[in-house]
Amino acid sequence: MYRQKYLFLLPGLLVLVAIILFPLLFTIRVSFSSWDVYNPGLNWVGGENYGRLWEDARYWEALLRLTGLTVGTVLLQYTLGFALALLVWREVVARRLFRVLFLIPMMTTPVVMSVLWRTIFHESLGPLNPILEGIGIGAVPWLSQSTWSFIAVMIVEIWQWTPFMFLLLLAGLLSLPNEPFLAAKIDGAGPIRTFLSVTFPMLGAISVGAILIRLIEASKIMETVYVLTSGGPGTSTETSSYYIYIRGMRDFQIGYSAALSLTYLIIMIVTLTIVAKLLVRALVRDQA
Amino acid sequence: MLTITDLSLTEAKVRHLSGLTASFQPGTLTTILGRTGAGKTSLMRAIAGLLTPDSGRIALAGSDWTRLPPWKRPVAMVTQQFINYPHLNVRDNVAFPLVRAGVAKPEAAAKADAALTRVGLATMMDRRPSELSGGQQQRVAIARALVKKAPVLLLDEPFVNLDYKLREAFREDLVELLATETGTTVLYASTEPREALQMGDQIILMAEGRIVQSGQPRSVFAAPASLTAAQVINDPPINPIPFRQANVADFGALGQHPFRLPPGAYTLGLRAADIHPGGPHQAEVTLTEVTGSETITHLRLSGQHLVMQEKSVVPRTPGDQLGVSLDLGAGLVFGADGARKEI
Repeated sequence: MYRQKYLFLLPGLLVLVAIILFPLLFTIRVSFSSWDVYNPGLNWVGGENYGRLWEDARYWEALLRLTGLTVGTVLLQYTLGFALALLVWREVVARRLFRVLFLIPMMTTPVVMSVLWRTIFHESLGPLNPILEGIGIGAVPWLSQSTWSFIAVMIVEIWQWTPFMFLLLLAGLLSLPNEPFLAAKIDGAGPIRTFLSVTFPMLGAISVGAILIRLIEASKIMETVYVLTSGGPGTSTETSSYYIYIRGMRDFQIGYSAALSLTYLIIMIVTLTIVAKLLVRALVRDQA
Repeated sequence: MLTITDLSLTEAKVRHLSGLTASFQPGTLTTILGRTGAGKTSLMRAIAGLLTPDSGRIALAGSDWTRLPPWKRPVAMVTQQFINYPHLNVRDNVAFPLVRAGVAKPEAAAKADAALTRVGLATMMDRRPSELSGGQQQRVAIARALVKKAPVLLLDEPFVNLDYKLREAFREDLVELLATETGTTVLYASTEPREALQMGDQIILMAEGRIVQSGQPRSVFAAPASLTAAQVINDPPINPIPFRQANVADFGALGQHPFRLPPGAYTLGLRAADIHPGGPHQAEVTLTEVTGSETITHLRLSGQHLVMQEKSVVPRTPGDQLGVSLDLGAGLVFGADGARKEI
């Protein structure tokens, strides 16, 4: 009778096994196989895929590129999101309207957003280059030159996800008590000092949460690269997710892409855990 | 000397201060007494720079502060709410104004430690404000205000949110602490006449955004200039009893009194302590408040609401009939314009 209580756990355990454990274990098994378009199936090849991965410079370059892209975009998203949140935090004209306007990019699906930006960046037909020429900067090879393509991907990512930072940080700002700001004024702190000594530290926990969520999401960047540049020109905007997609879905090297995915997963878990601890130590006082 | 001249302030279309003029000597404690909404907090906040006056001037030693931002004013302030920095520990809270003023961190920490020791929080320096009781949090705020050594210290009902016993103890501690702050102009806002009479070198009575009287606490209490001033400085509130003066003062059913006044309509301000139990007038008890060792009895007498104060605890029930006597000769007489008349 008493043992029957475990039956109630069964549905939850089954779901867990079905959606997490089975795919994970299956992927691990696949990563030790030579499954590809010519030899489908779980043929055991030991650590061959992992050995190949270790020497795959394109994979490590993609990972390095992803790191730069993630850190750069998230930092800029945080800075811009914070600035926008500060802008509409206090009494400003039409602040409700601005709050809604700032959220629109986030509400649009990444694919639609990327198609839109591809049109904007189009070097001969897009509206951006004529504007740049008009103000004397000149046309920019947005999608045909490596550095500019990388910048274009960054711009789209920042455009799309700054509202997320804005939303979280504005919610944080609105939840702050007013009294410490009064005290800071009396205690001789001007606006900049108040921001550095009161506003920013009081938003430490929310900042850590917002940055971590965005780091996790940004490290999976795929749609923007796929639609905007297809990883090009060459491999200059190829990220880890996109490279794994090419190996798995385009080249159909299932065993190898499983090894790539698992390695990528482990690197992300370790890196983000370390980053989380460092962020908490830096931004949240006495909790490190 | 801190001076305010013809200061007026409106906020959210509500007039909070109307033409205030006053001066405050260094090294003195001025109590600003008034009921809730009298404009005490607005005055404090205007001096601190947290509110901008519509007109008038605020100056310290001749230097105009009126348009100076709050962070540039040499002012320290303790408010009704226990205001501290929730993300800093107690020591860093108190050191905050010193660090902002450019004091080196080790020196600021040492001064903060000394200030916290003075307010009895030597063992709690590493705690966060949220880990302290309300009284302890307010002590942190007081230490932060004192450590700044500002020439102007504003205390806006600092103990109003503490319980009665704690308030009494804190008031004594504060008087001791302020005794060492020589040269500081201290403004203490209060709604309690007893507190104001105990603490201040000078008292300012406020009502509806105006200063109704100022001076030495004892002399203001003994001779309030108007009925409004008398109502502000008396606790329990003074009993206003209308009468007509002919040959004698005629109080109707309450009797007569031989005042020497020109004929006309007047109001007698009778303090609650000048109504005594036992006497010819039959009154009905409407409410009894026992506060410590005193009893405040609300009475209805000939259609008039009166408050009687006794220095003892007397159990009474609403509806009881009670004979009382009124010491009319001890009252203060006010004319139709509200100004006090000599009798």
